[in-house]
Amino acid sequence: MGNVAAVFLFEWKRALTLPRMMWWGVLAAFPVFIVGVIRFTTYQIPPREFWAGMLYALIPMLVSMLGMLLWATPAISAELERRSWVYLTVRPNGGTAVLLGKYLAAVTWVIPPTLIGLSIAVPLADTSDGWRLWWTMARLVCLSCPAYGAVYLLLGTLLPRRALVLAVAYTLIFELIVALVPAVINKLTIQYRLRALLVEWCDLSFPGPGGRPSGVLALIGDDPAWQHVMTLLLLPPVLLLIAVAILRWSEFSTSAESDV
Amino acid sequence: MIELRNVTKLYGKVIGVNDFTLTLGPGAYGLLGPNGSGKSTLLNLITGQLRPTLGTVRVLGESPRNNAGLFRRLGYCPSSEGLYAGVSAFDWVRYLQQLQGMTAQEAVKAAEQALELVGMTQAMHRPISSYSRGMRQRTKLAQALAHDPDVLILDEPFNGLDPVGRHELTTVLRKWIGQGKSLLFASHLLHEIESLTQSFLLICGGRLLASGTAQDVHAMMVGLPNEVALRSSDPHALAALLLREHAADSVRIEEGLLTVATPQPGRLFEQLPGWLKASGLEVSEMHSADESLQELFNSLMKLHRGEL
Repeated sequence: MGNVAAVFLFEWKRALTLPRMMWWGVLAAFPVFIVGVIRFTTYQIPPREFWAGMLYALIPMLVSMLGMLLWATPAISAELERRSWVYLTVRPNGGTAVLLGKYLAAVTWVIPPTLIGLSIAVPLADTSDGWRLWWTMARLVCLSCPAYGAVYLLLGTLLPRRALVLAVAYTLIFELIVALVPAVINKLTIQYRLRALLVEWCDLSFPGPGGRPSGVLALIGDDPAWQHVMTLLLLPPVLLLIAVAILRWSEFSTSAESDV
Repeated sequence: MIELRNVTKLYGKVIGVNDFTLTLGPGAYGLLGPNGSGKSTLLNLITGQLRPTLGTVRVLGESPRNNAGLFRRLGYCPSSEGLYAGVSAFDWVRYLQQLQGMTAQEAVKAAEQALELVGMTQAMHRPISSYSRGMRQRTKLAQALAHDPDVLILDEPFNGLDPVGRHELTTVLRKWIGQGKSLLFASHLLHEIESLTQSFLLICGGRLLASGTAQDVHAMMVGLPNEVALRSSDPHALAALLLREHAADSVRIEEGLLTVATPQPGRLFEQLPGWLKASGLEVSEMHSADESLQELFNSLMKLHRGEL
């Protein structure tokens, strides 16, 4: 664990640069900006259901997902491109430590701006039940960041040379399209779980019988909340174990192609 | 210390290392080969970054692949740069020592000592982006030395160093070898290896072509076809003499310098004084026409394939 902590601290120290802090600020400011624009350009305050959907789309969905995509995906590929990977892998369990240390650094880097943005955006929305919305979104952020981080880290380990392309393709196809397909396959996405928890924890109701018409049920299922939470909690360790196994099996030589 | 048995490494259809068998005991060895000869692939196999397609690799009696115990005893300085531009040498070396398993305090001490050893104390808190090539090489060497490994593996460590830097690092490495530690040092320059060790491994085309001492290498160069340049008072008469004595396959004269392609340089060197004395000709200068080792490697490759 000591070398994982070393990677974590080293990555955090490296992240304290002006360009990265600006990105951090952008992540926090983006939902605030959008909520502010909506709030001050509409005559009537939108209903609670609207804000729940909007804050969900902006924070656990967009900011968490984008933040983790940018931070976790290139964990290995950045080291390979920089040719620094070799220095790390000739250390005892160096590759594993780098993978886990960078994962923790990415998760702890993305969660704070997301929560800061949420904490400003909720009062700005001036909705009834603001505290409940904040508490729901905060829990969703704390579940989505580790889950997305693990998915992107695994994709980056699987195909480091094309990591970002693969991660963007996964996000567009699975998390944004397949997640909205009213079929069993959408249960494989993180969005399905987060969406179901949003509806459950915010106690959202929809027009139709019982407030949960069949069209909505196909998108959120009727599993209890604890199942979604357990799935999202178990996903990161399982995916990280697979990523470590792939890493130990893979050969990442950093020799120049001409220098065999 | 290092044992490779029939090791072959393929990159798709490209051969990186070809049926390599080698046993090295403790000591210092120079791995000599031209660029693209397979040195880096061999070192990647030895440091466990690559798996052999065929054969087995053992370092200190163990497989190096994902071997945490072995990595505690191994120091590696690759040829590629791979440093973090915005980080100081001290932070980087300390970080790598923590990955090596040291506590934060031990890592600080080890990093300071290693950077002092390679002459980087003054600049160690500056960002690496402000370093010269030589300073980056020193930093790379420091990270390999800092945890006091039993076996040190260096891939072209003198690249980019000025003569003073080379001399200083040669002194450091000699001291290292003097402590009874083991070293495997890859380079494409004979004199770099010669300054550190007398034990050579010659590699080309992914094959081990020869091994031995520096004298053996020079003897090989004498015994294999080579070009010799001679400056004489009468180069035309000297060319005729060498052709008459069957000491040259071909000759050419450019700006008074006679270049002779000889199948047996050894015989030429041995008998030339007698021929000069008998003919009354004088030679004021004589050297190998091609001072790089490429000719030797080409000849050894032909010898290996049975073409010579």
